[in-house]
Amino acid sequence: MTRNGNTNRVLAVLTLLFSGLAVAFALRLWGRPVVLPPIPLVDPIFTNTATARVSLGLLLQTHGDTSDYDCYTCHDKKEPVKLKLDDQGNVVLPKEHSDLVMGHGSHNRNNNCYNCHDESNLEALQTRDGRHPKLAESSPLCGSCHGPTYDDWEAGAHGRISGYWDRKLGPFVRQNCVACHDPHKPAFPPRAPAPGPHLLHPIAQAAPPQERNP
Amino acid sequence: MAYPPQSPAGAPTPGGEGQSRRSFLRTSAVFASGLAALAASLAPLRHLEDYTSLELFMQKYYKELTPEEMAKVLQRIEREVERQYGVRPHVRDLKPMNGVEFAYAHNLTRCIGCRKCVHACVAENNQSRTPEIQYIRVLRMPHGTLDVDKSEHHYDPKLVPEKGYFYMPVQCQQCKNPPCVKVCPVHATWQETDGITVIDYDWCIGCRYCEAACPYWARRFNWTKPSIPKDRLNPDMAYLGNRPRRQGVMEKCHFCIQRTRAGRYPACLEVCPTGARKFGNVLDPNSEVAYILRTKRVFIQLKEDLGTSPRFFYYFDV
Repeated sequence: MTRNGNTNRVLAVLTLLFSGLAVAFALRLWGRPVVLPPIPLVDPIFTNTATARVSLGLLLQTHGDTSDYDCYTCHDKKEPVKLKLDDQGNVVLPKEHSDLVMGHGSHNRNNNCYNCHDESNLEALQTRDGRHPKLAESSPLCGSCHGPTYDDWEAGAHGRISGYWDRKLGPFVRQNCVACHDPHKPAFPPRAPAPGPHLLHPIAQAAPPQERNP
Repeated sequence: MAYPPQSPAGAPTPGGEGQSRRSFLRTSAVFASGLAALAASLAPLRHLEDYTSLELFMQKYYKELTPEEMAKVLQRIEREVERQYGVRPHVRDLKPMNGVEFAYAHNLTRCIGCRKCVHACVAENNQSRTPEIQYIRVLRMPHGTLDVDKSEHHYDPKLVPEKGYFYMPVQCQQCKNPPCVKVCPVHATWQETDGITVIDYDWCIGCRYCEAACPYWARRFNWTKPSIPKDRLNPDMAYLGNRPRRQGVMEKCHFCIQRTRAGRYPACLEVCPTGARKFGNVLDPNSEVAYILRTKRVFIQLKEDLGTSPRFFYYFDV
């Protein structure tokens, strides 16, 4: 009877111990994990691969609205367009073209429409050496002035490429100059940055660090 | 005939001689509740399945797996991912291509610090969203210095680029002489013939020696189970690449192994709005990176003096 009593006592103590452990685990008395405030998912505009601009080439490819490029819905084919110039010799844009910014080249060195556009055919371009590329195939025209950049672009060192680096395994796409640069104002426009990194610890997340002044 | 005297309670109980029914029942009740308590106290072990399975525990080292064994491993991973995320992925084991050594070139003149590469990388490589794990760290550097101690990566202006700064994204540099590989005590990370330093997430023990050894702060540790929304999981996966990681293992940039070993450009390159990122096979003289290294002013391999010899080059246009 004493042996049984001892066994029972030991078992009871063990039961109590294990129950205690179970309760402790259920209540998470040790190592309650820090609950991180959920970090908002990033806006998909920051992960899309679209180019900075919608160029005429892209509109033709995607069968978009190209009506802005039909010059002769407004202009007359037989009547060449005369440029209006102000006192300083700058082009005065008519209100129909007020969406354009004449910002190509510094010091107004490049402010004449017919430096690039063909005055005899507004739906074409012209280079200084007498070639007449189509509006949608303007890159060689850009290259006629920006030679080194054009070389880099042809070699793939300037501009955007996507698809396959291994040309044997699949196609690749090289973006034209106007996919990123507005020909009337070619500087790449500033844009809003994607959200920066969040700090690991919630307390640090609540109070972001002071910016160090370099 | 002589019979042994019968016990007063009747037939002998199975619990032994001299034990009453009452005490037997009491003992069994205590024993049963003890077992139940034991089971309850082992509750934390229920989560063990998230960390290891018998198959994973018995799995051989990556380099010793036969193709048949590898196929089984890939199936196990597909099963586990489907169980956890409800999406059936396509997991491949892509080997390095012959005659290919990857190199990355980054144009410091063109980079505007928009951080699109950071988030395209997260989306492509199934990194944890909370807490955040990002392979690319974009440093904002003041003009006139290349000292990374003067950099800031928590910049948050309305528009980038800002006047007086340039931007330098830093990710795994895929060193020719990688310090992280040397310190790994279990050979869970190594350099492949195409130059990519890879991690076998199933072999990593999470000691973080490699994180300490990396001079570029390129390695990331999964402090918790990574959280990835189901609808943002990229199902195109590679064993050494972007398959979901477990808690307690290291990860880092692997040049998008699931894309680049299939001939495609990495995700960070394709999303870059300015085309500042260039990637290719440096052994092919017609590749973009070979052209850049030949003709451009390539200023650094970052922290060149350490002798790590990165395959990630920074260059200027002018």
